[in-house]
Amino acid sequence: MLTGLDIAGDTPLHRASARLKLILLFLAAVALFLVENPWALAAAAIIAAGLYASTGIARSEAFRRVRFVLFTVLLVAVANYVFHSLAEALAVLFRLGALVLLAAAVTATTTISAFMDEITRLLRPLERFGFVRAADVSLAVGLVLRFVPEILARYGDIREAHRARGLRVRPLGVLVPLIILTLKDADTIAMAIDARGFRRQ
Amino acid sequence: MDIVFSGASVSFAGRPALHPLSLRLCERRIGIIGLNGSGKTTFARLINGLLRPTAGQVTVGGLDTVKDEAAVRGRAGFIFQNPQHQMILPVLSEDIAFGLKNRGLSKEEISARTEAVLERFRITHLAGRRIHELSGGETQLAAIASVLVTGPDVLILDEPTNQLDLKNRRLIEKTIADLPEQAIVITHDLPLLDGFDRVLLFHEGRLEADASPSEAVRAYRGIVGC
Repeated sequence: MLTGLDIAGDTPLHRASARLKLILLFLAAVALFLVENPWALAAAAIIAAGLYASTGIARSEAFRRVRFVLFTVLLVAVANYVFHSLAEALAVLFRLGALVLLAAAVTATTTISAFMDEITRLLRPLERFGFVRAADVSLAVGLVLRFVPEILARYGDIREAHRARGLRVRPLGVLVPLIILTLKDADTIAMAIDARGFRRQ
Repeated sequence: MDIVFSGASVSFAGRPALHPLSLRLCERRIGIIGLNGSGKTTFARLINGLLRPTAGQVTVGGLDTVKDEAAVRGRAGFIFQNPQHQMILPVLSEDIAFGLKNRGLSKEEISARTEAVLERFRITHLAGRRIHELSGGETQLAAIASVLVTGPDVLILDEPTNQLDLKNRRLIEKTIADLPEQAIVITHDLPLLDGFDRVLLFHEGRLEADASPSEAVRAYRGIVGC
C-alpha cells in the first residue's frame, strides 16, 4: 500500500514551507543539545508533543509512529541512569524524546516531494565539486519516507498470514520473509525509477 | 518509430529466457501474447533497456538500448504489470511530476505538463488523491499518465487489464485504442487485440508466430490446446 508518512491537513505546520521546517528542526536539535537542565528539556518535550498533536494526526496513529523510537530512547535513558545519574537519564529522555516528536511533526506535515525538492536544492552547490548527486540523495531520502509505512504494512500482513494458518508468530518467522519481500520490492522500485528515467545517466 | 531486434537474446544464469530474435516493429498497435514464462516480459523489457541483451542488439528509433540507455528510456515508456509498483510518490500529481524532475525543467513547466496530462486523461479531479485511494482503473490510468507526461514515442504496457473488473477493463481498452502514441501491449486479454496491426506469440522463449491478431490467437489456442 502506497501511503507515505505525511497526513493531509491545513494546520500552520502544513502551511509552513519545507525549508523553514527543516531549518527550525535543525536549530531546535542544536538548542536541545546545548541545554542540560532536565526540567527545561521536559518543557521542550511537552511543547514538541503539543506541536505533534497540532498536526491533526489521530492519537493512536501518532503513538504508533513514534513508539519504537521512543522505546529505544527509554532504553538509552535507563542505561544513563544505571551508569551515570537520574538527572542525566532524564535529560537524555526529554532531549531525544523532544527531538523525535519534532521530527515526527515535520514528517507528518511535509510531503515527500517537498522534502526531495528541498534536499536537492540544499545539495546542488556540492554537485559542482563532484561530491554528491543531489537528485540521487533526495531520491534516497524520499524512498526511505515512502517505504516506512509500506514495510510496516507488510509486517502486519505477514503476522496476519501466520495467524490465519494457525502458526505462532515468532520474530524470526516474520523478519525473514519481511526482509526478502522488502528486498524484492526494492528491486521493483529501482526498476520503476529506471523505467521512468529519473536517473539520467 | 522503428524498433529493431538484431539477433537479440537473453539468458539468466546460462538458461535462455529469449532465444536469438531478429525483427523490426514499426506498427502503431502491436500485441504480445503467450503463456506465463514464455518470454513476453523479457522481450518487452529489452525495448525499454530495463534488460540488456546477452547477445545481439536492440535499437529504438536508431538508438542502442545499451549505449544510449537514458535516451531510449525517454522515447520508450514502460507500464508495469502492477501499476502500483511504478508509482514512486504517494499523491497522484506529485507522482506524475516526479518523472519530469531531474530533466532541467522549471517548476512552472513541470506543473503545466502535469496539469496537461491529467486533463488529457480526464483525471484532474484525482490530482490530490493518494494512489492507494484510487480504483484499479484509475490507478492504471494514473500509471499511463505518469509515463506519457515525459513524452515517449512508444508505450509498452505489461498486462494493462490484469486484475481489472469489466468496467475498468473497457476504460483501459478505450484509452489504449485512443492513444496517438505507438503501443506495444503484453496481454492475456485476447479481445483487447481486436484492431491491432500485428501480434507476436511467444512460446518457451521463442517467437512462435508473428501475424495478424486472429492468426496469432489461433496459433496460441493451438499451443494451449483449446
